[in-house]
Amino acid sequence: MDSPVIDFHSHAGSWGRYGVDADCDLYLKVMDAAGVDRTCINCIWFGDARRGNDLVMEYVKRAPDRFIGVAFATPHYPEEAVRELERAVHGLGMAYVKIYPDYFGRPNDDPAYFPIYEWVDEQEMAVMCHATYPFDPPGTTIEGRFTALSDRFPNVRWVMAHTAGAVDADAAETARTLPNVYMETCSSRTTLGATEFNVERAGEDKVLYGSDMALMDARQQIAKVVTADIPRRAKEKILGLNAIRLLRLDDPSKGGAA
Amino acid sequence: MTSAVDLDFRPEVPAFDANAALGRRHDRRVAVDDAAGLLAEMDRAGVERALVYAPHAAAFDSAEGNAGLLETIGDESRLVPQFVCNPTFDDLDATAAQIEAAGVRAVRMVPTLHHYPFRSWVVGEWLEWLSARGIPLWLPASYEANWHDGDDLDPHAVHETVLQFPDLHVVLCEVHYVQASWAPPLLRSLPNLSIEVSRYVIVDGIARLLEIVGAGRVLYGSRFPEQAIAPQLYHLHRLGLNEADLRAVCGGNLERLLGMSSDG
Repeated sequence: MDSPVIDFHSHAGSWGRYGVDADCDLYLKVMDAAGVDRTCINCIWFGDARRGNDLVMEYVKRAPDRFIGVAFATPHYPEEAVRELERAVHGLGMAYVKIYPDYFGRPNDDPAYFPIYEWVDEQEMAVMCHATYPFDPPGTTIEGRFTALSDRFPNVRWVMAHTAGAVDADAAETARTLPNVYMETCSSRTTLGATEFNVERAGEDKVLYGSDMALMDARQQIAKVVTADIPRRAKEKILGLNAIRLLRLDDPSKGGAA
Repeated sequence: MTSAVDLDFRPEVPAFDANAALGRRHDRRVAVDDAAGLLAEMDRAGVERALVYAPHAAAFDSAEGNAGLLETIGDESRLVPQFVCNPTFDDLDATAAQIEAAGVRAVRMVPTLHHYPFRSWVVGEWLEWLSARGIPLWLPASYEANWHDGDDLDPHAVHETVLQFPDLHVVLCEVHYVQASWAPPLLRSLPNLSIEVSRYVIVDGIARLLEIVGAGRVLYGSRFPEQAIAPQLYHLHRLGLNEADLRAVCGGNLERLLGMSSDG
């Protein structure tokens, strides 16, 4: 394949519960074997976002041409969140923002996140998070959730983690209808027909490849795109070209990661 | 820029899927539920043969499901039937006769779904028969359904029981990363236990399994039709295995366990 491959979703650090080590060498080995040129990497595993973001930078500094830092922000410490984002994005050069509402116990459209979104909106950056949560109120729809968020924060580009790894008409319709909403592929399942379904419903410009490294293996996660029954050009977009466009990686002067 | 991504991927060795289901489910409509559809997907993925069981045999009635599986397969030699057995209610003699009449080469038990402890006082007689006949046993680490909570297989029970049947070949299948804490030590402790890797997606996990048990006890499987056939096969081709090991994992080990030659 001649076009670049960018992994939009991965994590730095150790997760001993699943036998995952903070092993940058292994990371690079797996990326090489999978054919991944660059990996967007975040760390969501510390209550102290600064500590996680600094850990991310250890990976980035080790291989700056391979890792793209992603900033983590937590509403558990609202007094720190925007300040830490300023540091991570403008000080450390991180490319977008990752939040993890599962750890907060409130969904991503909870007002506690709004100060973070206001800041991201001003920067015209991307935010990645799950689209649904176990604690969602009854009747919640993905389309309703992201329509409201897009209306309120029109300059944020929303990436719905894991949604393209499943067959979910609500998620696909949301990505199709809302210009600033995207889907991402990683999942512990390789659901039959998921990539095909989401390309058909949401469009090949709206799906991003992600692995969930270092929990899941990029060689396995990339296979669901590589072996999907979709046009070659769609695969190239999902595997990298869409991420380049979304993060403006081809034009750092417009705010993308260097 | 040219990457290692192979958009024209085809398996480099014969592929024999060790974990596929065939037939309709009662709890949802699956994308492919007949032999023609499965064969078409196998062709697209470059998979030659598949070991298939009937979901109905697991979820409702083993005898009905197994009989339906044989009807569905017909005379298609690329699809190798696997019977589901429920040792708590099935009659061993009757099941054994059906297995022998149909030439069935593998059996699946689902203790998490059928609500019994995998202990010799429940399954001993069955394991003795399977062992004597050289028929391998598949054990899913869990069984997911819309109406079932998907309990994990009890690894302690598996360890204690399989240890008593050293000549029986057992294949632990559908092992998720949440079971990666106990699956490797279980494999290490039981030389007659193999693992099917359709759900084993933890980073570098298969390479670590290969280090622990060698290439002779790791089996490619897809978990079709819940999952696609090709992705895990592609993954296996990216592990840097030598041809002999790749050939073993992608199909040779399954052939050996089933007592089949490469041409069926």
